[in-house]
Amino acid sequence: MTAPPPMSAEPRTATRRAPRGAVAAATNGAAPAGRIEALTFLGANFALALARGLPDPDRALRGWLIDEGRRQRLTVTTIAVAADGATTLLLLGGGRRSLVAPPTGGIELEQPGRRGVGEPVSVAQANVPPEQLGQRLRDEFDAAARARLQERILARVARSAGSLADASGPLAALHDATRDQLPRPEAGPSAACVAHVDGFWRVDHASYYVEGWAFDRKAQLRSLRLVTPEGRRVELLRNAFRYSRPDVCTHFSVPASERLGFIAFVELPEECASHDGWALQGELSDGSGFEVKAPPVVDQPLALRTTILNDLDLDDGDGLLRSAHLAPALTRLQRRLSESVEIELVDQHGIPPEDPEVTIVVPLYRRTEYLEHQLAQFVHDPEIRRADLIYVLDSPEEAARLRRLAGHLHDLYGVPFRLAILSANAGYSTANNLGASLARGRKLLLLNSDVLPAQPGWLSRMVDFYDAHPQVGALAPKLLYEDDSIQHAGLHFERNAADDGAGAGTWANEHFYKGLHRRFEPADVSRAVPAVTGACLLIDTELFRDLGGLRGIYVRGDYEDSDLCLRLREHEREAWYLADVELYHLEGQSYPTPERAAASRYNQWLHSDLWSAALSELEGVA
Amino acid sequence: MPDTRPTVLFICHNHPSVRPGGAEAYALELHRHLVASGEVRSVFLAKGGPPLAPAGRVHLGTCVAPVDDRPDEYFFFTDDWNGAYDWTFGTIREDKRLYTKHMRAFLRAIQPDVVHFQHTMFFGYDILREVKNTCPDAAIVYTLHEFMPICHRQGQMLRKTDDTPCMQESPRRCNECFPEIDQQTFFLRKRFVQSHMQVVDRFIAPSEFLAQRYIDWGLPEEKVQVEEYGRTPPAGEASIQPRRHRDRFGFFGQLTPFKGLQVVLEAIIELHGSASAQQDPLLAALERAAAPEAPAGRRVRREEPEPRPHVRIHGANLDLQPGQFQNRIAELLERAGDSVTFIGAYDHDDLHAYMAEVDWVIIPSIWWENSPLVIQEAFHFGRPVIASDIGGMAEKVTNDVDGLHFRANDPTSLAATMRRAATEPGLWDRLRGGIRPVYRMDEHAQRLSGIYEELLHDRTPAHVG
Repeated sequence: MTAPPPMSAEPRTATRRAPRGAVAAATNGAAPAGRIEALTFLGANFALALARGLPDPDRALRGWLIDEGRRQRLTVTTIAVAADGATTLLLLGGGRRSLVAPPTGGIELEQPGRRGVGEPVSVAQANVPPEQLGQRLRDEFDAAARARLQERILARVARSAGSLADASGPLAALHDATRDQLPRPEAGPSAACVAHVDGFWRVDHASYYVEGWAFDRKAQLRSLRLVTPEGRRVELLRNAFRYSRPDVCTHFSVPASERLGFIAFVELPEECASHDGWALQGELSDGSGFEVKAPPVVDQPLALRTTILNDLDLDDGDGLLRSAHLAPALTRLQRRLSESVEIELVDQHGIPPEDPEVTIVVPLYRRTEYLEHQLAQFVHDPEIRRADLIYVLDSPEEAARLRRLAGHLHDLYGVPFRLAILSANAGYSTANNLGASLARGRKLLLLNSDVLPAQPGWLSRMVDFYDAHPQVGALAPKLLYEDDSIQHAGLHFERNAADDGAGAGTWANEHFYKGLHRRFEPADVSRAVPAVTGACLLIDTELFRDLGGLRGIYVRGDYEDSDLCLRLREHEREAWYLADVELYHLEGQSYPTPERAAASRYNQWLHSDLWSAALSELEGVA
Repeated sequence: MPDTRPTVLFICHNHPSVRPGGAEAYALELHRHLVASGEVRSVFLAKGGPPLAPAGRVHLGTCVAPVDDRPDEYFFFTDDWNGAYDWTFGTIREDKRLYTKHMRAFLRAIQPDVVHFQHTMFFGYDILREVKNTCPDAAIVYTLHEFMPICHRQGQMLRKTDDTPCMQESPRRCNECFPEIDQQTFFLRKRFVQSHMQVVDRFIAPSEFLAQRYIDWGLPEEKVQVEEYGRTPPAGEASIQPRRHRDRFGFFGQLTPFKGLQVVLEAIIELHGSASAQQDPLLAALERAAAPEAPAGRRVRREEPEPRPHVRIHGANLDLQPGQFQNRIAELLERAGDSVTFIGAYDHDDLHAYMAEVDWVIIPSIWWENSPLVIQEAFHFGRPVIASDIGGMAEKVTNDVDGLHFRANDPTSLAATMRRAATEPGLWDRLRGGIRPVYRMDEHAQRLSGIYEELLHDRTPAHVG
């Protein structure tokens, strides 16, 4: 039983509740109290309904879809009420069931306390295309209201997973019909206010990376917004990073010191599936506005990553570009890239060991000849034969070749191993994490492909030490270069006085005793250290999984190991260096490509930014 | 009657019938001696086909074929993998079926009890691993003929920077000789080769010098045994004619830059001055007129011949050497004029005849040498040896006992030694008297059989790896 209706001017009416399954008819006998004049489907899950004459537009409504005799409950959201109070725009949602169009019955609205709202609306009669609905809306709502209602619709539809992509077309058509077409701005050398998008990239489902320029000769621009095809508007310029574009300055005859270029990382409240139809809208202080079409969205994550890394150079001393734009963009991009990669297949060579103590994960990227070199050493070590050895191919274009070669090598050396092929190049951290997801061992050893044992028996010595020291979270041995000098004897952190590209005051990873003689005495002491290298790192498998593995926010392999060690400290576990186990690490000696160097600088800055406080405490400096 | 004799399989990089060479000649001699002795069943496997021979594999589906109609000598053809042979590492890269399918099939058929490697060149070191896999109970012996496992410069251990002998490999030093190959590659090479060599039970080193270089390189000392090449005496006699001056010198060997022919030619040029001066009778007369008077009381017999050092050059493969070297030799030969006779390639069976024409044998190699077969041949024919004072040469020739040393790669030193050799009265006879009998093949084969037996007796149950 519903609550008694409030006192109103309308006479009380008596209603007869329609039996289930039958089409309900408004039988109050009173004059129709509102009706749906137009209905537009937005994909399969939603519909917009323009209702007129609702007696009490502020009240919540219930809706029903009548189809083949069945009543399906609808959600009803009031999107907007026109100024005169007579017209209401409603959004009807099918909930988990799609609105089958067209329903054989109709759509009925109900206001609690009243039975029926006029006649049930027949969809066949009321169904209008979005453009037509848009025209109606133009009649009833002003421009600002239309913009707002469009965004409300978007927000509501976006809450239902998958619906936005489905509704995208109708929404874009609606938006096109409801908005005021702003003029294209004058762009010649004497222009006063104009903007342009040069590069427009999709970062992930709801964020974008925009590069362009904006010229505002007389400081008239109040806002510059990015507008999606479906009508979501996002302020672009206010938080954008500005930088010098001498070519644009020349065009408009202003000094080159004017920072006309902009770079912005933009997040949307909801995702947008469309690549075409985006625009920039400028609003000037005198109330006028302009609109500039944006180029189609480019969705090439790896190329975008390169672009972003190259843009690092544009950052000034304050680091605003990287902290407000590049880092958020890269973080989301990295997540997208790592989530998109999976293990495509796994080849088992030989008989897998029973109940292995250790899983060894070795990512292979391009230098696949290291597989042979490692096996030529592992063949002499019964401990490795008993380990759960997993190679992960991170350059899958070589899959066919490597799968063949792996078979040959197993036939020759007899060491059992698995070869996991990834669906795409994933990068160091994801390749390791995916390999670790296959682990059967109680302990996990991350091993670089360019690490070779000096002699057999090293694995059990590492495991024994780990087991004997419960405070150890990550354990790494002494690693040597090919000339027997020290490559790794533990890591520590130092703060850069001068700017080495990552910014002054940034923390950097440093190796103890790198380059010194193998027998350098201080390097022969096993001890707790601030961090250890991931090139040969032993960790409890459970612990590794609890920590979420290596963090994928770093680009292309760098700092993941120290990041892991710092996270271990938060779990009260330490990184330890084991001096009396030695392996060789043929660390790549080639000079990095510009992109690799940029990635390094970014990683160093990111790591420092995330851990600055902890590092200051750890290294005992201010 | 089932054959219960142990089976010995020799693996070699070449069959001497294809192209001559010292190591392979010795190896084949050893095999045939064992066959003749009947105590073991011996099989000889040589890599056949390109690059040493034009003709390669004939039959599909097999990599082996007998050498002529001998039942115990085989060619193993690696034609399908020749393009993939990696000279830096000594391996066939991507496709290991040469080892895991074809070599395996041969090993399963032969079922050797002993596998005695003379070389892995052209096969790749992986063949050692395959032998261990397929014949886990076999004894694996490896005769080291030069330094190929250690040194990328054709196993010479001679620095490419300045042609001086090298005592110590390291990633840095090897990279200095081969700047195009980085240090890490040399590191990986050494680990790779040593990994495969771990399966060897006994290394045979024909000289102490070579043994020590390999021990320095990292072979376990207890696995390295010094055992000289045993020789079947060459056919024929090289007669000794009485001569006033023992001034005839012979060079026998491959005409590579490492063998030092250029040193001999420069020495002989130094001894004689330029050829044109020799040949001009007027100049010769003036020289004689300018010679100091003989001390009183001694009659100078004008007609008595002065020692005229002369070098006879026997050896092949000059045409295979780098152009620069060939040009240099040609130029030196011309300047040496008639103080040199260039014989060129020679048949080993005719060695006695060539030895008869010389008093001394010069072995002027600029690399260390191991145990040059030429020294043993010279000694067999009673010819003292003039040798570079380094490595295996200095070991096998004892200065002032059975030969003379000179400073390696130094034509002036060699010239002085040759002058002494040609002029010092009684030296040649004394040194000839100091020559000890050459180590014979039958004793050597018996020694080796003893090693095989010892290794087979010591077999612990084999485990893979």
